[in-house]
Amino acid sequence: MRGYFFSSLLIAVGLLVICSCSRPPAFRLNTEGRDPGSISPTQHEALTTTLADFFGTPDQATTPRGVELNHDLLHLAAGPMGRDLERVERGLYRKHCANCHGVSGDGAGPFARLLNPYPRDFRKGVFKYTSTVMGAKPTNQDLEKIIRQGMPGTGMPSYKRLPDDDIKSLVEYVKYLSIRGETELYLVRLVLDENELLPLNRQAVLEDGVLPAAESWDLPQIEPDVWVVKPHRPDWDDQQLQAAIARGKELYREPRAQCITCHGPEGRGDGEQTDLYDIWNQAKKGITDQQTRELARHFALPIQKLRPRNFHSGIFHGGDTPEDIYLRIHIGIKGTPMPGAGPAPGIPGVLTPDEIWDLAYYVLSLAQKLPTHSAHEDSERK
Amino acid sequence: MMKTSTQKTRRAFLKAGLSLATAIAATGWQRQVNSKMAEPVLGELRGRFIYDGTPPERKRLKVDKDVDCCGKYDIRDESLMVGPEQGLANVFVYVRTRGIPIPEGLADRWPKRVTLDNHECIFKPHCMAIWCPVQEYYIVNSDPIAQNVAFNPLGDLPANIILSPAPGNNTDAVWRFRRSQTEPVLIVCNYHPWESAYILPRDNPFFAISDSSGNFAIPNLPLGEWEFQIWQERVRQLDLPNAPRGRLVVQIKPGINDLGTIVVSPEHLKVVA
Repeated sequence: MRGYFFSSLLIAVGLLVICSCSRPPAFRLNTEGRDPGSISPTQHEALTTTLADFFGTPDQATTPRGVELNHDLLHLAAGPMGRDLERVERGLYRKHCANCHGVSGDGAGPFARLLNPYPRDFRKGVFKYTSTVMGAKPTNQDLEKIIRQGMPGTGMPSYKRLPDDDIKSLVEYVKYLSIRGETELYLVRLVLDENELLPLNRQAVLEDGVLPAAESWDLPQIEPDVWVVKPHRPDWDDQQLQAAIARGKELYREPRAQCITCHGPEGRGDGEQTDLYDIWNQAKKGITDQQTRELARHFALPIQKLRPRNFHSGIFHGGDTPEDIYLRIHIGIKGTPMPGAGPAPGIPGVLTPDEIWDLAYYVLSLAQKLPTHSAHEDSERK
Repeated sequence: MMKTSTQKTRRAFLKAGLSLATAIAATGWQRQVNSKMAEPVLGELRGRFIYDGTPPERKRLKVDKDVDCCGKYDIRDESLMVGPEQGLANVFVYVRTRGIPIPEGLADRWPKRVTLDNHECIFKPHCMAIWCPVQEYYIVNSDPIAQNVAFNPLGDLPANIILSPAPGNNTDAVWRFRRSQTEPVLIVCNYHPWESAYILPRDNPFFAISDSSGNFAIPNLPLGEWEFQIWQERVRQLDLPNAPRGRLVVQIKPGINDLGTIVVSPEHLKVVA
C-alpha cells in the first residue's frame, strides 16, 4: 500500500515538474508600486501585447527596427539553456544570471530575497558602477568588467572564466532587458497614468518610448570625450603618495564634497545621514511607516536601506583599484545618493581631477589597499 | 468729337481712380494679411484656485543636518501653500494634448533659462516648469554650505549634482532636459532630506503654476480645443468635480478665456483634519 502511495506521489511530482518545465517562461509585467486590482484586463492586455510585439518573449528575443543590438550575441544569451545543432551553448542568461536577476531582468529572481544588496533591476536603465558621467548609460566595457570581476561584498560572482563572446552576449542581453524595461516604464505611465486610448499607436510608442530608450545607450559611443571619464593614474613615488594621502585627508573633511555626511569622520560608514535608499528602494518608501507597509504589498522585494561604504572594511563593490575609486568619486554611484564630485557637461564639479586622486588614495589608505604597482604593471598582471 | 474726347478723359480718370482705389484696398488687405501672419490670433487661459477650508498649520520640518547654518531658518512643509484670500499656490496647469502647434517666433522671445536656487536651506522656487528644448535649467547655490540637487526623470538622464558652498567657485551648474515629462519630477537634496521641489519639463510653453493668490495664466495658446492637466504635489492629478483626474477640455477662443474661480476642498487634497 505504502509502495503504491509513494510511486503515485513520484508520478504526480514528475508530472508537475514536466508541466512546469514545458510552460515557456514569460516576462512579468512591471506594475510595481501599483495595486494590481486597479489595472483593467484590457490595459494589461495592451501592455503585454505591445511589449511582445516589440521585444518578443524570453524564448524568442526580438527588437524593432532602430534598436541596434547584435542579434548573434543576443541569441546566445536568450532562450532556454542548452546547445544547438552545432553544439553552441545557448540560454546563457538563464544559466548564469536569471536565478538572481530574474527572467524579466527585474532583480527579483528566486535567490534575490536572500541578498543584500539586491541584484540589479535592469528595467530602470540605471547601472551603479560606470565610467560615464552624470546619468549617462554605461559603456559595453563597463558592463563586461562587472561581469568579469563580479562585485565584491555582494552576491554578484566573477565570471572571468567565461569566454569573451559569452560575456559580450550577456552584456547584449542586459542591454536588451534594459531597453525593454525602460520602454515598459514608459508604456505603464502612458496606459495606466495617462489613460491613453487603446489600441495604442505603434509608431508613436516606437518613436516616444522605444527609440529614446535605445538611443540613450549610444550617447557614450557617439560622444566619448564628453561622457566617458578615463582616469590617468599619477606616477608618484612613495613620498609623493604620502603627500597625496595627507591632502586627501584634508579634502575628506572639507565641506565641498560632504564625504563625512554619509561616510562619517573616520570613513567607517557611520555619518549622520542614515536614512539612505537607492532609486529602486526609494519608491517603496511612504511618508509614514503605515504607508511603507501598505506599499510593500505591491513590490516583489521588501524595502532595503543603503549602507554607506565603511572604507576600513576594504570591500568596494565597484572594484578597488585607484582607477575604480577615482571613478566612484568623480562620477558618483548612479541611482544612489552618492553624487559625482568631478566635472560633467554643464557642471564644473566641486573637486578637480588632481584633488580626486588625492581623495582616492586617502580612501585606499584607510582600506589598506594602496597599490604596490604602477598602473602599467597592474594592467599587465591582469 | 469734343464730347467723345471729354468722355474719354473722364473714363481715363475713372479708370485711374478705380485702379488707385483697388491698389490702396489691396495694399491695406495685404497689410492686414501680413499682420495676421506675423501675429496670429491667440488665446489665454486664466483661472484662480482657492482653498475651501482652514489650511492646516504648515508642519515644521526636521532640520538635523548642517544645523549651524540651517537651524536658524523656520523651514516648513510646502506641500499645501494657501496665500491671501484662500489662494492656492503651486498648482500646475498644462496642456496635455500632444502636438499642439507652437506660434512661430515664440521661442525667440522666451526666457532662455529657468533658475533653481538653494537659498536658506530650501529650494527656491518650490515649483517650476521648463520648455525643455528652448530653456536650460540653471541651478545655483546661495548658501554657505555644500548643496546637492538630485532628480530622476522618466526616460531621461538622472542628475545628482554637488554645488560648493557660496560664495566661491563651482556654486552653479547648467542642466538640459532631453525629454518632455507627463508630470512634474521630484527634486531632492541627499544632504538635507527636508528639501524638495518639483520641475515639469515640457516640449511646449503652455504651462503655468498658480501664484500665492491662486492665479494662473497660460498665454499664447493657439485657438482650438485642448485638454489641460491640473496637478498638485499632494495628490498629483488633482481630481475635481469638473475635471476628473485633473483633466479638463477647454475650447480656446481669441483673447482671455477665464475659468473663473476653481474651488479646491480639503477632501480633494486629502487633507486630514
